[in-house]
Amino acid sequence: FLHYSLSIALPPLSYLVAQVRPLHGSGCGQQQEAVGMEMRPETFSIFRTQENDPDCQSEQHQGQYYTVPPSHFHTVFPHGLPPRYQQQVKTFNEGCVMVRQPALELISHLKRADYSKPTLRYLLYGVKGSGKTMSLCHTVHYCSTQGWLVLHIPDAHLWVKNCKELLPSSYHASRFDQPIQASNWLRNFRTTNENFLSKIKLRQRYVWTKRESTEEGQPLGELVDMGVSRVKSSSDVVGAVLKELRLQAGGTEGGFRLAVAVDGVNGLWGRTTLKKEDKSPVAPEELTLVHNLRKMINNDWCGGAVIATLSQTGSLYAPSSAYLPQELLGEEGFDSMDPFIPVPVSLYSEKEFESCYLYYLDRHWLQHPHSQTEEGKKELIFLSNRNPSVLERLCAFL
Amino acid sequence: MAASLTGLLKPWTPRVLLVRWSRYNPYYLEPEPRKEVYHIPETELTPEQKEERELKSVRPIKAATNSVTSSVFNDPVLSKFVNMMMKDGDKIIAKGIITQTLENMKRKQVEKYHKAPEGKKAEIECNPYAIFHQALENCKPVIGLASIQKGGKFYQVPIPLTDNRRRFLAMKWMITECRDNKHRRTLMYEKLSQELLAAFSKEGNVVKRKHELHKMAESNRAYAHYRWW
Repeated sequence: FLHYSLSIALPPLSYLVAQVRPLHGSGCGQQQEAVGMEMRPETFSIFRTQENDPDCQSEQHQGQYYTVPPSHFHTVFPHGLPPRYQQQVKTFNEGCVMVRQPALELISHLKRADYSKPTLRYLLYGVKGSGKTMSLCHTVHYCSTQGWLVLHIPDAHLWVKNCKELLPSSYHASRFDQPIQASNWLRNFRTTNENFLSKIKLRQRYVWTKRESTEEGQPLGELVDMGVSRVKSSSDVVGAVLKELRLQAGGTEGGFRLAVAVDGVNGLWGRTTLKKEDKSPVAPEELTLVHNLRKMINNDWCGGAVIATLSQTGSLYAPSSAYLPQELLGEEGFDSMDPFIPVPVSLYSEKEFESCYLYYLDRHWLQHPHSQTEEGKKELIFLSNRNPSVLERLCAFL
Repeated sequence: MAASLTGLLKPWTPRVLLVRWSRYNPYYLEPEPRKEVYHIPETELTPEQKEERELKSVRPIKAATNSVTSSVFNDPVLSKFVNMMMKDGDKIIAKGIITQTLENMKRKQVEKYHKAPEGKKAEIECNPYAIFHQALENCKPVIGLASIQKGGKFYQVPIPLTDNRRRFLAMKWMITECRDNKHRRTLMYEKLSQELLAAFSKEGNVVKRKHELHKMAESNRAYAHYRWW
């Protein structure tokens, strides 16, 4: 009897998607797509959803693609997206992200968290290519649309390897600065958070050299501009920016919420490939950028959230089969991150795979005549094991 | 014949077997990679097929080479191209270059497709395999030249070419063109995709070389009767 009543209670999917849902005060259901690169006719499709606001997405949209409005693209994601995805956006002339369960879980946690308590740390983990970075970017898009200040570090591994210039820090004798990486990051930070730069005022005076200093009460934008132009002290500027944001995030007057999104957080603990002049290895804590970022990840401040991703791809001295937090973070990293909320990211489910396949067909990406048949689809499932990145690479040449 | 046959069918097989040699004993049968053959139910087999199956259950079968697949995406022309591009037996690198080339071509065409107005969309060919095959067709010479000696001198005589020879020449010209005439910093797949797209629209150096061969053959028409086959 119960089964019978359940089966008639579920309306068909088309009805759910087309319905206007006035659940929130912001009127999510009435939002139209921005007239961006293409005007698409409003036909129903099983793999696309018209709900482009991450705030209003829920489990019913799972497996469907939503379009990131082109105006948001360059401001929200100057540096966070995986390189193959950036190529895909350029080819398809639109940026579509799949709504998946890990991202929805994260967003629901962010909606219900108490921001007067110390920050919660969320850690996305999963096998290689399962979609951790994309889930992180989805969450960053949500935070951006909600008006949070987003501190997105695209890959922490870039700061612990392949550094051409290592300057000894002026502020602390035993630390090392990385001017190029720091100034690049500051430039992208400036693009992401334009509107916050004039609103946040500094609470402390910073002295850079005998003649240069930034006074109290100046807007944050000036500090960032200084860091971009004076490349030598850019690492210290990064440290100052992080400190200011940490102090002011939970503030009651003019308070904003701070989202720290770090990709490849396991690079902050462990080993680096950088060497000092006497060929001895540099430990990560001897780098200014890493030192300051570690302070940011501690949960001794309130008014925001730390969302991190593990990554084996760029990691140093980690076996390629390792994907669990314990293996990749190591003892030191795990103790610093503990307690955290783990969010596992799995491979595509059958519904998600269908959705991805239909999306590629729609965008004319699957061109081989056999790939459009059932046989070809079964072969794709077999070859990729429903791994998102492997499927993407397979479909690239088919 | 009996000696070689019974020699290989010993109950004890030696440690080093003639697996990769092409000089198999003729007793060995070819492997069958296609899936459809095995899906025919017992009832629908013709008498010849039944006989063949019975034969296969008693005869030994050659080992299948690495290039043989039952995949639906298997393309014999493309495999031949990969083998021709391979250096020092490194098929992984050659196959990687070809997949990158196909991806690159598809990306360029799909980008053009999405940016084109509605009327022009149907003309843009997005399938990299179709482009590859058409480009190769456009590069195949119709007539070739052979060096024939007559009265102490060598003459370039126009001769008909077999299909295999034409395909080989087209692929060879494509690969040598991409290896020689590119900038030091251009990668192979980039240059190859440019050449294939140009050949698809009948431009580029490879079709030029084909046209030059045709012109030479045309100019040497007088010597055509030196050919005796």
